[in-house]
Amino acid sequence: MANKKGSASRIRMAAVSALALALLLAACGKSNVAQTSAQGGTGASPAATEPVLIGVTGPLTGDNAEYGKQWRKGFDLALEEINGDGGIDGRPLEYVFEDTQSDPKQTPAVAQKFVANPKIVAVIGDFSSPASMAASPIYQRAGLVQLGITNSHPEFTNTGDYIWSNSSNQKDDAPYLAQLAVNELGKKRLAVLYLNTDWGKTTVDLFIARAKELGAEIVAQEAYLSNEKDFRPILTKALDADPDALILISYYNDGALIAQQRLSVGFDETVAVVGIGSIYSPQFIRLGGEAAEGVYTSTRFYPGDPRPEVRRFVEKYREKYNEDPDTFSAVAYDGIKILAQVMREYGTERRAIRDGLEAIRDLDTVLYGKASFGSDRRLQNPRFVNLVVQNGKFELWQP
Amino acid sequence: MLDQWINGLVIGNLYMLTAIGITQIYGVAGVVNFAHGSIYMFGAYIGWMAIAWWGWPLFPAIALVLAGSALLGLLLERVAVRPFARQGSTILLLTTIAAGLILDNAAQVIWGPQTQALRNPLPHWHFQLGNSTVTLLDLFILACGVGTALLLHLFLYRSRAGWAVRATAQDREAALQMGIDAGRVSRLSFALAGAFAGLSGLLVGLYFSNIYPTMGASATLKGTTAALLGGLGNVPGAILGAYVLGIVEAFSVEWLGSSYRNLVAVVLLIAVLLFKPRGLLAPRRALNPEPTAGTFIPHGRPLRFPRWAAPAAVAAAFVLPLALANPYPLQVLSIGWAFALMAVSLNLISGTTGQISLGHAGFVTLGAYASAIFTSRLDLPFSASLVISPVIAAAIGVLLCYPALRLRGQYLAIATLGLGEAISLIALNWDAVTLGPLGISNIQPPKLFGYELVSPAAQYLLAFVILLAGVWIVHRLSRSHLGRALRAVREDEVAARAFGVGLSRYKSIAFGVSAFLAALAGVLLAHSYSYIAPDTFTFALSIQVLTMIILGGRDNIAGAVLGAVLLIALPESIRFLGEYRFILYGLLLIFMLRFRPCGLLNART
Repeated sequence: MANKKGSASRIRMAAVSALALALLLAACGKSNVAQTSAQGGTGASPAATEPVLIGVTGPLTGDNAEYGKQWRKGFDLALEEINGDGGIDGRPLEYVFEDTQSDPKQTPAVAQKFVANPKIVAVIGDFSSPASMAASPIYQRAGLVQLGITNSHPEFTNTGDYIWSNSSNQKDDAPYLAQLAVNELGKKRLAVLYLNTDWGKTTVDLFIARAKELGAEIVAQEAYLSNEKDFRPILTKALDADPDALILISYYNDGALIAQQRLSVGFDETVAVVGIGSIYSPQFIRLGGEAAEGVYTSTRFYPGDPRPEVRRFVEKYREKYNEDPDTFSAVAYDGIKILAQVMREYGTERRAIRDGLEAIRDLDTVLYGKASFGSDRRLQNPRFVNLVVQNGKFELWQP
Repeated sequence: MLDQWINGLVIGNLYMLTAIGITQIYGVAGVVNFAHGSIYMFGAYIGWMAIAWWGWPLFPAIALVLAGSALLGLLLERVAVRPFARQGSTILLLTTIAAGLILDNAAQVIWGPQTQALRNPLPHWHFQLGNSTVTLLDLFILACGVGTALLLHLFLYRSRAGWAVRATAQDREAALQMGIDAGRVSRLSFALAGAFAGLSGLLVGLYFSNIYPTMGASATLKGTTAALLGGLGNVPGAILGAYVLGIVEAFSVEWLGSSYRNLVAVVLLIAVLLFKPRGLLAPRRALNPEPTAGTFIPHGRPLRFPRWAAPAAVAAAFVLPLALANPYPLQVLSIGWAFALMAVSLNLISGTTGQISLGHAGFVTLGAYASAIFTSRLDLPFSASLVISPVIAAAIGVLLCYPALRLRGQYLAIATLGLGEAISLIALNWDAVTLGPLGISNIQPPKLFGYELVSPAAQYLLAFVILLAGVWIVHRLSRSHLGRALRAVREDEVAARAFGVGLSRYKSIAFGVSAFLAALAGVLLAHSYSYIAPDTFTFALSIQVLTMIILGGRDNIAGAVLGAVLLIALPESIRFLGEYRFILYGLLLIFMLRFRPCGLLNART
């Protein structure tokens, strides 16, 4: 009896597992069906109204979800403009956002999904270096452009000629910050705190090299982990070195915490705080409160920047979202705009987009103004503005 | 010097708050709850809404937080604990992980993923000590921690309801016979735990003036460390443990740097577990009442399938690349196979030998780094590295784990968690060899017999063949006398020892083989990703692999493979849900566990 019951449950169990697996595979393979029918469609004659698709791989859930949300605002605004202006030769431009949680185990699968979908003509993302670079070989081998919008890892574009980036490049940002701290603010004894990630390490090395060239002394150099919240011990250590400026190679969340906690270990106004452009965000002031007052930074993107391309972007963004854009939404906006300009000029073939990125000159961008890609497949000649926090706002600062 | 002492005390204060909650409720009531951090986070958000949106003063806000998070604790008990109460603490470990996942993702949907500012409404009064300032909030947190500890102590030791809680924890059956309503006790424990978690979330949020949806994870980790330092269930121990942890961390930053902070904390924890396993304040005792490992994973026996089932499944997997034109499912499955290999290897430790390892990501990292370094620095070919790297990784892994193998049950689990973290922190800090935070990029693609295996079908087949080899090794091993010895260790360590099975030796064999296979998966993934960094394989991965084997069925190789493939394919197949994806994932996990508590491929005995 018991035996019979056992075998019945076994068969049921086997059937249920088989069904579950079949369903999962069917779900995974669904794009397969969509794709073949699409191929049939494009094979005959491409419908004039069929959208041009960009694949976006990035975090919508998990630790980095907030950056993905900011991206989306930038993308949506860019699409509104492009499609209001005739799209790509009459075809609307759209994007598919696949959530990867910026997790290297999920990005290769998403990459294959994009590669297999002939409607996807180019890809934007991912957010973090491990996640983005785990997918790069797949894009490179398939010949699909991967445009990294936040990928400052020095090796990111080295995977191959289909990997491009309009992200800030530490080779420009870090030396500029050194110049601001040493030449313009006249600081000579620098205590540097940096985020111990690929980005932070690259930036701090470039910063220190330039600061030393300019004649400053690095009195303390302290790395911290990305999930660190308690900065009092390293701040105490930095204070003991008697610096005249505190340099933050940080993001805005940790930067705000450092700015706040520095007051409780005894830093006062005589020690200037100078942060790299990534601290520039309304969030820095919201989180830092009064402790953010007087903090200097230099950034490529500032909504109060008088340049006309920035004015246009900021006004439209405010109109749509009722808030100021930050760097993440600006790079996302630029990413879509760059691809759109290339596609309008060179067509929407995957190969043509790659060649177009190489050939195109004087792209319109918010962050760089008129810009072109260099041989390192990154945008060249960034511009900077210096800012200081005053009365709860970032204001332009001139020496 | 004085300043670092004060820094240590100030942060120790925060650790104390979480440690007391964990040690009191979970230590005394004997409940495992991985959703603690999520309730902690919800408490912070409830308080933030009260203060920032509705402009409430602090004390009514605290009352609201206590009530709200107690309710949340009750809800958790109803949904994720009560239906599983009879199924052992591992299932609770999983259901509470799933519930935590649901809560964390729900918070992201409700309040958005961005960090929110939480202003401290207390007066900004402070006094100076050396260069440092101590604020009113620091003192308030201290008072809350000690005050609630006292109240909880009075409740547990002086009230009838408190006695019932302790009696149930000591012996549930006996308590039931004495007429204690065990269900009521369980509700009470969870309501109290919830209220306490919520309050600590709010206070820590006030201290840092910011809150965010994933804030619970790191806080609970530090709280648990402090609680373990003091000895679970020992409140004065937890307070001491928290301050010791805070001060040791402050000085590790002073002398070594902030990147070493967590590494030092891990080493401290493992040292205390080894030399004073019952905590810093434990009385000397010859015999430790430790949780037996055997009961940690629910029993069951493998379902029997017809003899042709396994060869048929293998054959089907081999021809799949021919049948599927789309590379996307193949890519999903080839990552699925790599995870299946990790699951099979963890199954040897956790399923067969009955030891819980929460540090499996560490072995994977070792293998990945070994191979990345050998192939890109020493120009070793992939085929050689495929054999050499896992051997070296396994050797290092066993060497690191060996001292910890004396520990049993949950203490070993925590020690392995620490070791896993330590391995990734060493990868981060040992710049000269690992390139530190930059990671190793441009790792060559897998290449065998002159062919680069880069197409999705080739990578799929490579991963599958390696998985088969791993399955074969584990299968042979578990059928041999060695497998029986390992099962003997699982079922009863004392009896096994009496029959001449040397515990440390057999455990290290299990860990060695397991580390070898996990490292093999790491090699595979490193060459498939082409880039690895210290944060490529994280603690979340260790938990996920454990989830896979519990879902598939304990000590069941086919179950481990099925669990891995399901848990990799599931989030992929529900991509269209966007932000709601991991909420559904958590719910599905709870449902599966509800109806197949012994795992998908195990039947109840």
